[in-house]
Amino acid sequence: MPPAVLTISYSGGKGPMLWLALKTGVLTVLTLGFYRFWAKTRLRRYYWSAIRPGGIPLEYVGDPLEKLLGFLVAVVFMAFYIGIMNLLLMYFSFALLQGSVAAYFLSFVGLAPIIFFAQYRARRYILARTRWRGIRFGLDPGAWGFSWRSIVHWLLALVTLGLTWPLTTLWLEKYKAGRTYYGDQRFVQGGRRGLLFGAMKHVYYPVLLSGVGGAMAAFSENPAWFALFVLTTPWLIYGLAYWRAESFKRMTEAKELGVIRFQSSPKPWTIIGIYALGWFLMNLVISGFFLVLLGGLFLLHGNFGIDGADLDQLEDMLVTSVPVLVLAYFGLFLGYRAMAHAWITLPLAAHFAEATRIVNAADLHLIAQRDRDEFAEAEGFAEALDVGAAI
Amino acid sequence: MTDRVAQQTGFADFVHGERAFVSRVHLQPQSAGLMIEMPDGSALLWPWAEVRRLPDQADPSNLVLGRSDNKLARLYLRDAALIAEVQAHASHLKKRDNMVPLSKLLVWAGGAVASVVTIIFVLVPLMAAQLAEILPPEGEKALGDATFEQIRTALDETGFTGTPICDDPAGNAAMQAMYQRLNPASDLPYGVQIHVLDHDMVNAFALPGGRIVFFRGLIDQAETAEEVAAVLAHEIGHVVHRDPTRDALRSAGSLGVLGLLFGDFAGGTITLFLANQLVNASYSQAAEATADAYAHALLDNADISPSSLGTMFERLRAEYGDAEGIIAHFMSHPQMGARIAASQAAVSTTRDYGSILSGLEWTALQAVCTPETGAATQPDDAIKKSWP
Repeated sequence: MPPAVLTISYSGGKGPMLWLALKTGVLTVLTLGFYRFWAKTRLRRYYWSAIRPGGIPLEYVGDPLEKLLGFLVAVVFMAFYIGIMNLLLMYFSFALLQGSVAAYFLSFVGLAPIIFFAQYRARRYILARTRWRGIRFGLDPGAWGFSWRSIVHWLLALVTLGLTWPLTTLWLEKYKAGRTYYGDQRFVQGGRRGLLFGAMKHVYYPVLLSGVGGAMAAFSENPAWFALFVLTTPWLIYGLAYWRAESFKRMTEAKELGVIRFQSSPKPWTIIGIYALGWFLMNLVISGFFLVLLGGLFLLHGNFGIDGADLDQLEDMLVTSVPVLVLAYFGLFLGYRAMAHAWITLPLAAHFAEATRIVNAADLHLIAQRDRDEFAEAEGFAEALDVGAAI
Repeated sequence: MTDRVAQQTGFADFVHGERAFVSRVHLQPQSAGLMIEMPDGSALLWPWAEVRRLPDQADPSNLVLGRSDNKLARLYLRDAALIAEVQAHASHLKKRDNMVPLSKLLVWAGGAVASVVTIIFVLVPLMAAQLAEILPPEGEKALGDATFEQIRTALDETGFTGTPICDDPAGNAAMQAMYQRLNPASDLPYGVQIHVLDHDMVNAFALPGGRIVFFRGLIDQAETAEEVAAVLAHEIGHVVHRDPTRDALRSAGSLGVLGLLFGDFAGGTITLFLANQLVNASYSQAAEATADAYAHALLDNADISPSSLGTMFERLRAEYGDAEGIIAHFMSHPQMGARIAASQAAVSTTRDYGSILSGLEWTALQAVCTPETGAATQPDDAIKKSWP
């Protein structure tokens, strides 16, 4: 019988993650993107297995070939839609409106239902391939329902300039959580409509105050009011971190799995610290990278005695440096992604995992296995549209 | 006393995958397999050949084991000595068991390729050709204006203002005179705007809505005004056949589909560009030949020898060579030898041809970008692309 309280430990390391992300990134580039199904699967295996509720790691059992297959299935359908749609939109936006902006906008609006659809299907695939203690998670079908609800709730949030975003977040989470299973046990997302508004307070206050400051500066023509931004900008940054932590806490603590409950206490300052340190390190590495690159170019061209006037030499130099620059571009791109995984995504995952506990779990062992969700399309649509989870 | 192997035994966590229940089990490696002794006294034997380890696990001090024929049961080992013992016995720990049949994968891969090929090479070009015919002239102009600004910005090395348009009045008047003498107006739905951009590239192109763009490099390279006129006639041919509009619409369709295919990995843009180039090239070679034929007729009508077009090609071939082999597939234009021959075949042997510009006009056109003629020596650079 398991203990009533299970803490979650985290066993991932920044170094191994950096190396894994870099390695899989290089292979992806070398295979013209073909390896990306393997890359994503391997990163997920790592991220999942690092989270250990009660000492037993989560397991991601997704198969790269299955993902490739799902992608091919999606391409068969999406190619028609995207090819014909883009062409028609381009035509109509120039024929009727004489501009391409309308085409891009309409193309996005036309894709929105499919994007939300794809996100839900991707979530279903990921949950169906996640296990803990040998028991599968799962998500009931319902992608179109999620899609139209998302559009309605997003529109509401847009109309209210984002003020009702906490409501949108909670509603959509209720839809998703209410269809999520662990084994044969369904999750319930509790909480009344107002649950998340408090989590947004440190965003509301500085935005309101900035608005007042800006209006006063405009009316009184006294730029001293702009000094208010010195206060509100850092406040807003804190507010975003606070929202991240507090909305997670409130939604997690209102989730139910049978009699099982959850407790979570992520800290806004830790989140800010992770981002600050991560960005600082990334900037440091990227600046160093450019210094080395410039140094390399100096060496390559011997003397660097170009005056502004000697453009021929500059052009010459640019041509011979092209291979170096292409390599630098790939290096920068891959390095950036790998560093973001190692220094931002992973520490954040660690913090949220370690800040969360499972309580009232004494009857956990009664939860029974659910059937495998065969899902031929996997995350194909999300993969094709680039809207899947970042990992 | 059945086993000969020196034994390292130990405890591990076990889940069988029926309920969310973890058992503490005693592990006993034997020569036949891994013996798992359950708390209730029963035992399971996992044959070594079927024991697999889960890859990419975050905690290197742990070993998580599964079985090739039982997808659910897992063993979680922490004891270092026991892990070493298991690793020494299990012969196929790292073997991958494919869950997706290869035949299924091949069928869908075939389907995806067929679908993409049908769309890019049949459906989208067909629709683009139809729609280009019925796109209203204002729409075409807007499309051309947008592209023109993009090209100017893209070619500008400073990246701030866009490549300058040469605005010498006498030079532009000479260009206009050349256009008037070719007199294609009856073939065109709208007027043609001609620009010269101050750039070294030896190139010229037509945009949707009747914009024709020359680069200074091409005018510098030409030795007679007739050669420039031949290029102009060729570009007018593109405008008359609505080639630029069709290309733009087709790219809108096929770029989206290609983007779908390659995803967002680093370098995707480069692959995307090459693939799109390949698709475009297969269409535009036919369009170029048609534009050449149109140019021959237009030049002939204006009393200019069609062989001027061939002369321009010869000049280019002497300097840059012809594209052969693999590269030729990426080129949007037919090979030059064939085009030179075609332009010479279009020459009528029974008549004398005139000239398109007066000497004064030609001098003005050559100086359209620089008031003082005889610009500095050309830097020999590899970026230069051969002219259409």
